[in-house]
Amino acid sequence: MSAGPRRIGLSTPALVGVIFGAAIMVAPLIWTLLLSFKSNADLMRDSATAFSGPYTLENYGAILQGSQVFRWLLNSAIVSLGTTAGVLILCSLAGYGFARLDFPFRRTLFVFVLLGLAIPEQAVILPRHQLFAELHLHNSYTGLILPGLVAPFGVFFMTQYFRAIPRELDEAALLDGASRFRLFWKVLLPLTIPAQATLGVFTFLGSWNDYWWPLISATRSDRFTLTVGLASSQMNYAQTSGLGFLMAQAVFASIPILIVYIIFQKQIVRAMAGAAVR
Amino acid sequence: MRSRWRRLEGFAFVGPFLLLYVFILIYPLILGIGISFNRADLFGARQWVGTENYARLLADPVFHQSVLNSLKLVLLIVPALTIIALALALALNRPTRTAAVFRGIFFSSSVLSVTIVTLIWRFVLTPDAGLIAKVMQALGRDPIPFLSDPNLTIPALAITTIWWCIGLPMMLFLAGLQQIPGDIYEAASLDKASRWTSFRRITLPSIRRTLILVVMLQTAAQLQLFGQAQLLTAGGPSGTSRPIVLYIYEVAFGRWELGYAAAAAEMLFLIVLAVTLIQYWAVTRREPER
Amino acid sequence: MTRLAWLLLALFALGGCGGREQKTEIVIQRFFGECGAVYGQSIDVRAAETECGILTTLINRFEAENPDIELSINVVAWPGYPQLSAQIAAGDPPDLVTMHQSVISDYQGRGLLEPMDGLLREAGIGPRSFTAAGRLGVTKGGQIYALPWDTIGRLWHINTRLMAQAGLMDGSRPILPRSPQELLDHARRFKRATGRPYLIQAQVNAPDYYVANLYTYLLAHGAVIFPDGRHIRLNTPQAREIVALFRTLNAEGLTTRNQDFPAATASFMNGDGGIFPTGTWMIGPYDQEAASAGRPLQGHYAVLPFPRLWGNDAAFVDGHAWVMPRRERTPEQRRALARFLRFLAANNFEWTRTGHLPAFQAVLATPEFRALPHRADIAAMAATGAQLPDYVRRQSAIQGLIGEELEAAVTGIKPVEQALADAERRVNELLSQVL
Repeated sequence: MSAGPRRIGLSTPALVGVIFGAAIMVAPLIWTLLLSFKSNADLMRDSATAFSGPYTLENYGAILQGSQVFRWLLNSAIVSLGTTAGVLILCSLAGYGFARLDFPFRRTLFVFVLLGLAIPEQAVILPRHQLFAELHLHNSYTGLILPGLVAPFGVFFMTQYFRAIPRELDEAALLDGASRFRLFWKVLLPLTIPAQATLGVFTFLGSWNDYWWPLISATRSDRFTLTVGLASSQMNYAQTSGLGFLMAQAVFASIPILIVYIIFQKQIVRAMAGAAVR
Repeated sequence: MRSRWRRLEGFAFVGPFLLLYVFILIYPLILGIGISFNRADLFGARQWVGTENYARLLADPVFHQSVLNSLKLVLLIVPALTIIALALALALNRPTRTAAVFRGIFFSSSVLSVTIVTLIWRFVLTPDAGLIAKVMQALGRDPIPFLSDPNLTIPALAITTIWWCIGLPMMLFLAGLQQIPGDIYEAASLDKASRWTSFRRITLPSIRRTLILVVMLQTAAQLQLFGQAQLLTAGGPSGTSRPIVLYIYEVAFGRWELGYAAAAAEMLFLIVLAVTLIQYWAVTRREPER
Repeated sequence: MTRLAWLLLALFALGGCGGREQKTEIVIQRFFGECGAVYGQSIDVRAAETECGILTTLINRFEAENPDIELSINVVAWPGYPQLSAQIAAGDPPDLVTMHQSVISDYQGRGLLEPMDGLLREAGIGPRSFTAAGRLGVTKGGQIYALPWDTIGRLWHINTRLMAQAGLMDGSRPILPRSPQELLDHARRFKRATGRPYLIQAQVNAPDYYVANLYTYLLAHGAVIFPDGRHIRLNTPQAREIVALFRTLNAEGLTTRNQDFPAATASFMNGDGGIFPTGTWMIGPYDQEAASAGRPLQGHYAVLPFPRLWGNDAAFVDGHAWVMPRRERTPEQRRALARFLRFLAANNFEWTRTGHLPAFQAVLATPEFRALPHRADIAAMAATGAQLPDYVRRQSAIQGLIGEELEAAVTGIKPVEQALADAERRVNELLSQVL
């Protein structure tokens, strides 16, 4: 692993630039944190009091007591985990099928799936809303999970990965009389665990942070995902009198995903890098 | 007989995905095109009007404004994002622990959802209680109305978006840079090549594919910007920061004109497709046959 | 892999579980904010403050007094209409939802609301018990489509200490202008004397504010804004004059600028300006401020209807109401709804402590109501307040369009005439597309 003309160290302007950039990245986060530790009354008078003065845990106490944040968190967890599990299953199956099996129209169907990568959400979201309305799928976990299962990128990703596995393994198993499915299940799938982890985290992130679809599909506040719930908090007059509380909600909502990030940092990065080094 | 079953076995594997794919992506896509040729409201009423919605869109100054806003956003965000991400990738492409920490910092914002990001940035930008306003007041200056001045709202959205999205392009560039073998640089330094020459002659061409990928991906993504505009500025003032997707949302759920909104969505699809194809053509045109 | 299968099963089971068979459940959707952290399960309505607090405690009390009814409360971000529309489109709207009276004709005109004459009769509520403004607001096409909850008036909230500094007080009563020229004179005088803007206005993200100003003064002129259900007339000399006045205020710095509602409210409470034109819903909070020691507003708060600058005294009012979206309901649910409506009607007085005017005549007459601060100054609006004619559909969408154009005119982005012409064109186009 090497790159860069000289390996002495960063030139001073570059170093200053990086530190300055990092400061800009971090400043809003620290500000949010500070605001969350101030009482609403103090902040209403002047938000600059966040820089000094008495700090309090009362906003976090309020969240633990009566906020719907927990419900939203649960909904997000269920939807995201469900979507991730579904995508991994469907895309592994399809990836194996496209990579290894020969069936009529295989090439055409594969291209057909790839075309899906070009379709933007907006072209589909309104009619999908109508469709789901007729099927009474709104305000349900199913309604939130199903759209997320349609992941052309996942199929592409898994197909590439399966293709990269040497065929000798196949032949060995088949000679022993294994069925295709057994071959898939017992032999090849375990070899794709790194790809599964990558695709899984990638899908989880996308599902967790999804905004527009849950906004119009989950309209009962007890079905809100965390993202939508926070949006609804923002748009209330809560800003006037509850700035500290609002910020505490933001901090609270960030914690789960930051934890996921810290644990799965490698997978996330690999998923992104994988897209470039195709 | 067994071989015929063999031939169809593949369908059992790709079938489940394909079924969902057709039902939840392709079918609504076609439905949407159909709806766009109707005068339709949100609650089921339909009336065939042919291309009237498209004609109206082409003549609608508010739609034009939103297209212009989307283009402005792309022009502000994509070059800046690309250059900053590349610069960061170059600077942080080291195996040291410090570099890893910095990389982590720059990537962390990308995992937050749009609503968290807008909540954070609202209270950085707002002229009455925001961080920037307080700092300016401490310096004796007047606060800047980022969220309500028609000339500042789009830059404000751009800054928020760049802060949010810097991680991914940076990582892509890092991956691309790591593909370059170190000996090329050693050879160059033996030839007394300057840093800038190394960069121009070795680094840039090597990451050309990544560069193109980043620009194309980000252009398509930022043309579809929605959440930041809806939550930070509500497209204001007077629609001066309303991008196309927010326009579609307001027409559909505010004005209840589903047909018109569907037509606008199809137009957006075409715009994204056209821009992507133009970029692709511009890039492959200059690439000599290898 | 098996573990994953179990996980999936568990998730779907979780998703499917729930559902209480014993109680009758009705789904109630409202805006007014979420304050569960402060009020929780409290049923002490008298001690509650603010719209959110009073409504929350009222609902809690109803649930406590009616254990056989389960209220499922859905709090939405104001105003909640995109959400309600999405719910109706999805075929699963709530049983009862708060709605502005000006918006009722949008949904009623499309057949999405149930007439409530029958249910109100069952609840023992007669339309004659409503105030004039309330009755007007909920009657469309001869039928009643909502239980009126209050009348919202637009008011000038006044910082009398600063007004006194500018010499604009007559004893304890603020002197308000009686013509557009006088308004500008007062405003300039105020700014010279106090160094602060005469008006505090929430202009950002507030289309309703601009539209309320325009409608109020157009009605004062006696102008016909909607000659019929498909057309609006906005590009008129009167409208241009009204908008130009507000544009001048902005241009000369006689008002605050770039403030959204939270900022403007905080500004008024911190004594940064003379007058904050907003509505009845702020009387409660500002009264509290005026009673708090050490606060800039302490003892120096007054509130009056919009001054008459042209034509007659007119108050463009709106109101909140409870509507029933069309959906299947069991007889038990209808009975439960009737009981809830009856409870609401009986407790209308508590709601008026927020500052809104009552929807029931009886409350207007009670000494308790009259004793509430400032009410005597504004009570007349419940009788004289005017709304738009009920054949005007899509008032909510129209408000958004006009508000956007007015914002451009007042803040100087567009010339006044062009903005009004654009607004007129856009509204006419919207109305022509209504199916």
